[in-house]
Amino acid sequence: MSTTPFQPAQAYAQAFERFNAGRDDAAARSVAFASFEQIGFPRRETEIWHYTDLSPLSLLDVRLPGGSAPLPDLSAWALDGCTQQTWIDGVAQQASSSLPLPQGPFVHEGLGALHRAFALPGLDLQVADGEQLPQPLLALLVSNTQNAQEMLHQHHRIRLGRGAQATVILRHVGLGDLARWITHSLDIELGDGAQLQLIRVQEETAATTQWSQIEARSGRDAKLNIVTVDLGGALTRNDWRVHLAQAGSDAQIHGLFAPTGRMQLDNQFEIEHAAPHCSSREVFRSLGFDRSRSVLNGRVVVRPGAIKTDSEQRVASLVMSPGAEINAKPELEIYADDVKCAHGNTFGQLDANAIFYLRSRGVPEAAARGLLTYSFANEILAQIPHPGLRQHVGAQILKQLGSELDPEMLA
Amino acid sequence: MLDITDLHARVGDKSILKGLQLSLKAGEVHAIMGPNGSGKSTLAKVLAGADDYTVTGGGVQFLGQDLLQLSPEERAAAGVFLGFQYPVEIAGVSNMVFLKAAVNAQRKLRGEAEMSATDFLAWVRHRVKQMKMDPQMLHRGVNEGFSGGEKKRNEILQMLVLEPKLMVLDETDSGLDIDALKIVADGINAMRSPERSTLLVTHYQRLLDYVQPDAVHVLAGGRIVKSGGPELARELEEKGYGWLQQAA
Repeated sequence: MSTTPFQPAQAYAQAFERFNAGRDDAAARSVAFASFEQIGFPRRETEIWHYTDLSPLSLLDVRLPGGSAPLPDLSAWALDGCTQQTWIDGVAQQASSSLPLPQGPFVHEGLGALHRAFALPGLDLQVADGEQLPQPLLALLVSNTQNAQEMLHQHHRIRLGRGAQATVILRHVGLGDLARWITHSLDIELGDGAQLQLIRVQEETAATTQWSQIEARSGRDAKLNIVTVDLGGALTRNDWRVHLAQAGSDAQIHGLFAPTGRMQLDNQFEIEHAAPHCSSREVFRSLGFDRSRSVLNGRVVVRPGAIKTDSEQRVASLVMSPGAEINAKPELEIYADDVKCAHGNTFGQLDANAIFYLRSRGVPEAAARGLLTYSFANEILAQIPHPGLRQHVGAQILKQLGSELDPEMLA
Repeated sequence: MLDITDLHARVGDKSILKGLQLSLKAGEVHAIMGPNGSGKSTLAKVLAGADDYTVTGGGVQFLGQDLLQLSPEERAAAGVFLGFQYPVEIAGVSNMVFLKAAVNAQRKLRGEAEMSATDFLAWVRHRVKQMKMDPQMLHRGVNEGFSGGEKKRNEILQMLVLEPKLMVLDETDSGLDIDALKIVADGINAMRSPERSTLLVTHYQRLLDYVQPDAVHVLAGGRIVKSGGPELARELEEKGYGWLQQAA
């Protein structure tokens, strides 16, 4: 095969050689790395990669996190009433889990192979049948690399047994301002009647390139409730795959996407209704600030036989500055009869009547816009069950609005 | 308090107010009545500063200031309150947040200190009770899912909390049942004072049974075509507007 510009630079091979030396699973990782070298990064010619160009990553002079930075003070990122597990640059700050390598399938084989070759074990939550986590589990995933172009690849797993219940908060935090290349995969499996509430808040640095794949498979009558918020990253691509694999299962996904500066954010959601009587509801809100670009693709697939499917998708976007761009697209593929699939997609400016209403009560125009934008985001914020985290995200949004509104007043 | 002289205003290309004259002294309540499309709501919106209306002539003096030079928020801080004919729903901003933002923004514009959280809460609760509203409404979105009557009651609540000097109430009585009408009228009457004036825009005599006006004006074709005492409202109720429009 001839050399293509998508073939990764030598730096990847050197990094892998050092990384893989002496590992128990070195052989499996080598196979994955060979596959990555052969396939490389996604090409923009593929429809689902149209908006997100990862090919420059192949030229990157990547390195592995090294050096011993002093432990950062993470107290600001802790949350009341949660059990906390912390990883700094992929290194567990508690007993390390012994997760097997991520299996895939991945949305892109080359990317998946790179991830598998370098994957470090992260969160491994297993809740036995009928058990319930006494309090939310906060997984604090911190990137704090001290040199530019360092890579960080981590995989995670959540398994809930039959009737088990858990709330998990995934908090991605980027410290400093260095360029980083990060991947995460999360594999979720819900037993019959299990209930998982997953809150993900991503605040990597504005110089970070990242890709995540989150894949969930639900048992009979299982409930999956996701809230996801993206605030950071230079280039962020998230691939979500939810398989409603057994009858009666339900997925609720709320997403708030608020890129700023020159950030590029690409969220791809796919919900597969593969069994009868499943329901899914997605509510997405995008705020495009500055010169950011965001992409949102919401695909719902209803497989043959998935009768009585009830799915709804609502997408609303607000472009906050003339230089910002938002591409939002619902996609429906229905191969079954007797299903209900609703979707709505709105683009807009703030309601002029509401702005005047606020101004007529004495609220200056900038603050009125701030309040209304906040209220737009609040439909998603309100879904974050932890008050401290909800306030934190609300404050980040307000900061972008440059408004003088007091976040404590809004909480 | 309020002096409107030869006021002309339009929406888009359409002239609506065509030389309106009106003078309102401190402590007075004036009712503005008139047929649909005569310019009643336009007058109310122009006074509050809505930017989809263009003033093309004339002037408005409010407490010695040129009102038309002020932004809507400056007018509010100066004491102008518009009770909306169609109050806006703002999901995701609670009534409490809305009221607090309004009170503190006005105080700031006037150079006054913010109200403390405890004082504010006590003040709002007192007013909610006065309007016979469920205090839980404070935690709901502004007018979110409110019935027509609840929205109008909420307008009066905002007015009681903000304590303006000039209350312009645009068809605040429409959509109210008798009980709600009485509560709304009580709210308006509670605000009557020698320093405060009220302009009631209404279609019906009904509200004026509860809120006694000092003067009644008939607006037709963008001008005041007749003024009189409370008896004029009763006359209009009997005869309609036809006879006046012909006269105009």
